[in-house]
Amino acid sequence: MAKKTINNVKLGIFALVGLLVMIFSLYMIGKDTNMFGSNYTLRVRFDNVHGLTSGNNIRYAGIQVGTVKKVKILNDTLIEVSMLIDTKMKNYIHMSDIVSMSTDGLMGNRILNIAPAKDGSPLAQDGDLLVTKKSTSTDDMLETLDKTNRNIKDVSEELKMTFLRINSSSALWKLLSDETLPNNLRASAVSIRHAAVNADKMVADIHEIINDVKAGKGSLGAILTDTTIAYNLNEAVVRIQQVGDHADELAKQLTRIAETIKQDVNTGKGPAHAILKDSSIVINLNNSLSNIEKGTASFNQVMEALKHNFLLRGYFRKLEKKQKEEQQKAGY
Amino acid sequence: MSLPRTWQRFLNETGELSRFTGRFFSQGFKPRYEISELLRQCYIIGYKSLPLVGLTGFIMGLVLTMQLRPSLISYGAESQLPAMVSIAVVREIGPVITALIFAGKIGSSIGAELGSMRVTEQIDAMEVSGTNPFKFLVVTRVLAATLMLPVLVLLSDAISLYGSYLGVNIKGVTSLDLFFKQVFDALSFDDFIPAFIKTYFFGFAVGIVGCFKGFNSKKGTEGVGRSANSAVVVSSVLIFILDLLAVQITDLFGLN
Repeated sequence: MAKKTINNVKLGIFALVGLLVMIFSLYMIGKDTNMFGSNYTLRVRFDNVHGLTSGNNIRYAGIQVGTVKKVKILNDTLIEVSMLIDTKMKNYIHMSDIVSMSTDGLMGNRILNIAPAKDGSPLAQDGDLLVTKKSTSTDDMLETLDKTNRNIKDVSEELKMTFLRINSSSALWKLLSDETLPNNLRASAVSIRHAAVNADKMVADIHEIINDVKAGKGSLGAILTDTTIAYNLNEAVVRIQQVGDHADELAKQLTRIAETIKQDVNTGKGPAHAILKDSSIVINLNNSLSNIEKGTASFNQVMEALKHNFLLRGYFRKLEKKQKEEQQKAGY
Repeated sequence: MSLPRTWQRFLNETGELSRFTGRFFSQGFKPRYEISELLRQCYIIGYKSLPLVGLTGFIMGLVLTMQLRPSLISYGAESQLPAMVSIAVVREIGPVITALIFAGKIGSSIGAELGSMRVTEQIDAMEVSGTNPFKFLVVTRVLAATLMLPVLVLLSDAISLYGSYLGVNIKGVTSLDLFFKQVFDALSFDDFIPAFIKTYFFGFAVGIVGCFKGFNSKKGTEGVGRSANSAVVVSSVLIFILDLLAVQITDLFGLN
């Protein structure tokens, strides 16, 4: 009978161990599917879920936080995914956190990634809808890659052309093989440096001048800082204005005079009219001028006669000599 | 009857087995219950089978790991070894291998035991003495086999996975913690529950076929050997047929 009891105990242990293994397995399998922990639901909407199904993992910043509960079609362009999230994450997941889809490893299952937005938006509550980021599918990537490849092809062809041109350009090669060029460049650089130094000095001088001006030194400083000059200037301006007024008056008087002259001329009074309007006077003047011409000619004759006269010949010779000496002095 | 004799015999036996199963269900759940005999049978069938089942499970896990490694390495997915082995063991290898070992050990022993009892007319004597031999011998054994095989499969799976852990560590390095983390990450209820349920049917098949063959043993001591032999063969075949059915049904329920 004792043996039977021992056997029964052994059997009991055996069955218990089996049961424990089963419970442990069930718990371990169920742990990831959030069957035993408390959790809350968040929703997210995609236009394509790329094969995501219920039970797929959800990660928050890389940490496993829950599983996909349900994938439901809302309409032809929108699919809603319900996510079961561990209640512990309630203090971390915010409304503006971005959900994106990716693959676990290279060929693994689809997973959802919740990326923290870090913008201090309110915490997500049960049933809230999170924002999504469109994931890049391999097709999109290949499409972009194709475009890039074409661009690279074009660019490389153009580069080829450019290099061909560069290679065939004799001017460039001459320039490159010119040994004086570096020297010239160096000299230019030195000059530029000198110029820069000078410019620097100049700037320093200007700076100094400006400082002086600011301090009221020199005439410019005086102008800018001395208030009496400003007063004087003001007075001068007033005087100039007065002068202007006088000039104005003068001009008026002048016009008046000009007008009287004009009247005189037109009405035939005074010498102006005689000069400008009387034609007989012109003839008389002409006659007088011709007479004067004649007079001077006779005078010249008389002078020549005088030069040859023995009384005055000596005086004229002296005059000539003096003239010659002056010319010689000027020559040397 | 135009059917060949072998076909006739096969159909006849199928019919007999069905009737035997029906008798089990009609009598098995009526009082009086042979509780202490059931416990004794559980001890013999379950507990006594554990070393054998454990050993085979351990070797299966170890060998499977080492066999899968090269092909996984060729895919560059050596890290998926625990996941791969765990799914293979829990879904298929564990239940089926354990059930086959169980059939070999328990099916033959039940067949031989009941066969020799029939041949030596102990069963007839029991009937005369007022004990229901069907209840006392058949129902207890079938129930014990049905209840014990799932437990054995669970333990065998666990031992298998430990063997697999050692197998991984022969050529690579992984911690037990990481290994079991990977194992349970790979497993889901869809893997575990159908595989667990089908072990009940395997156990039942082994028990009922062993009892049927032994209970209907004929032709003296020669018949005992034959009934033991055919109990193992038929129950093994039945295990595979049930496995096929199980996979179809789980597929039908969308659990695959």
